[in-house]
Parts: sequence; C-alpha cells; structure tokens
Amino acid sequence: MSSIDVEGRSIALDKDGYLVRLDDWSPAVAAALAEREGLALQTAHWEILDLLRAFYAEFQLSPATRPLIKYVALKLGPEKGNSLHLNHLFQGTPAKLAAKLAGLPKPSNCL
Amino acid sequence: MTTLHLLSHSPVGDDRFDSCLRLLGSRDGVLLTGDATYALRGDSLPARELAALPKGFPLFALDEDLHARGLSAPAHCTVVDYPGFVELCGRFDKVNGWL
Amino acid sequence: MAKSMLLVCRQSPWSGSGAREALDIALAGGAFDLPVSLLFLDDGVLQLATAQQAAAVQQKDLSANLRALPMFGVDELYVDQRSLDARGLSAEALDLPVTPLDDAALRTLLDRFDLLVTL
Repeated sequence: MSSIDVEGRSIALDKDGYLVRLDDWSPAVAAALAEREGLALQTAHWEILDLLRAFYAEFQLSPATRPLIKYVALKLGPEKGNSLHLNHLFQGTPAKLAAKLAGLPKPSNCL
Repeated sequence: MTTLHLLSHSPVGDDRFDSCLRLLGSRDGVLLTGDATYALRGDSLPARELAALPKGFPLFALDEDLHARGLSAPAHCTVVDYPGFVELCGRFDKVNGWL
Repeated sequence: MAKSMLLVCRQSPWSGSGAREALDIALAGGAFDLPVSLLFLDDGVLQLATAQQAAAVQQKDLSANLRALPMFGVDELYVDQRSLDARGLSAEALDLPVTPLDDAALRTLLDRFDLLVTL
C-alpha cells in the first residue's frame, strides 16, 4: 500500500495505485493520479472520467473495455466511443487507467 | 440438442426436481445422484411423477447413492456406476447440472 | 464460432453466492464478446424484484450490476412466467427488461444453446 499527498491530505492507494477509499476522490486527486502516470488531463480525458463516474453510480461496477466503449458511444457518439480514441487518451489501457483516475475500483472482468 | 439433466438435491422441499421435470425436452434424459435418488422412494409423489414419464424415457440413477440410502430402482430406471455416469455424459449433446 | 451459453439463475439474491457467481460469469463472458444469455428461474426471479436495498445487509448492489448486462453485450434476458406467478411478481414490473416465457417456449430455449450452466 502507498499514498499520495493532495492538497495537504494523504490519500491511500492499493498496490495497483487505485484508491482504497472511493470517496477520497476529487478532481485534484484525479490530476495527481494522472501525473503519477505521466499524463496531463485535458478536456477529452475529463469527459471520459465524468462518464466513468456516471457508469459507476448507475451500475456499481467498473466497466471492462467493451462496455466502456459501448457506454461512451452511447453518451458521446461513435467518434469518441471507439477503441482508437480511448486507447490514445489512456495509454492503451483505457478500462484500467481511466477507472483508476476516475476513482473507481479496478475492473474485475478485464485482462 | 439432447440434454442430460443431473439432479443431486432432494426432490422434496426444493424447486429443482419440479422445474427440471417441467422443462424436460422430448429427447432429454435425467440422472439422479445424491439425495435426488430419494425421488425413487417407494410410493412417494416424486416417484409417481417419474413413473408417469413417457415409456422408454432415459432415466438413470447412481448405484452407490441408491445403495447408501437403502433404495432400489424401479424397472423404468437404469442403474449406473461411475464409469456409466461418465459414458452417459458423453452420450448426450450437453449436460445440465442443477447445482 | 464460440459456443453459446445459457446461464440459468435459480438463486435468490440473498441466499448465498449463487446469484453473484452467475452474474460474474455473465459479465466476464460479455466482456469477451461471448454469446451469453440468462434465464431467471425459481427463486432466481427474485433477483429482478424492484426496491431491493443491498446496503441494508452490507452487500454489493446486485440490482445495479444486473442493469449493466446490456452494456456488457448480454441482451438476451429471459424469465420463467410460472416462477414469477408463484412469487407474486409481474413481468411488467421488474427491475430490468426481460422476456417472460411459458413452459413450451422454455423447452425450446434450453434446447437451443450449446451449453447450460445452472446456478
């Protein structure tokens, strides 16, 4: 287990870098987690992170890649809901990395 | 496709036996193991339901589970041992274990 | 061509791990684009009842998870009409859209799949 410091608070992370307590999440935490991954969050990232949080609020689980693509296509259209766009934004592992930055649990049905 | 339905729970006080019989396909078979072999007990309701299956219906029971419960199989039920159990699983297109 | 699978869900949401295990199989199958369908039978139809509150017994929200099935590509959801009737449930007032089937339609359904997994 490790932790990151964000705005004076220590945020606990599990061995894979996911939040231990999901309600620790804030946009500042997301930005700090992204920085650890060498990623500067842009508008295109944020709209996916917002969607992921909506997915989790609705279904209480983290999507694997296919359902993530399907959900993004449903909400934002096929030009964003495709593996090329999502892989490009999230270093080739959108389900895992985007879930991590959005403060969701690690997707369980994902290799 | 043919299905071998594998029952292992008691036919009384549990839905498995009733639902299985209700949904049997015309080419399916049933293998009774464990407490499901109680379905062959004497004049019980499950035994009467099994006796009412079409003539020649593929009904099987596992020998040692019958034996352990002091039961014997009626004429319309074929008794099999474990090698027979394995052979049966291969004879049908698929096996549906009612876990 | 991947083998088609019908998962027969027979357990109530609160009776143990059966309901959760069946859902996990469905989600994993769907995530890998396998042709998985679900049939709710016996007490399994209780998984579809509305207004359930998993948090009251510190469990994960199975109802919400079940609603994710279409997102995982698991669109074929069936329910046994007789099991609904016996438990006072109506196919029109369930937590997710499922197709109610009578006994004859169920026999055809069970026959059609390459694999049956009953939990």
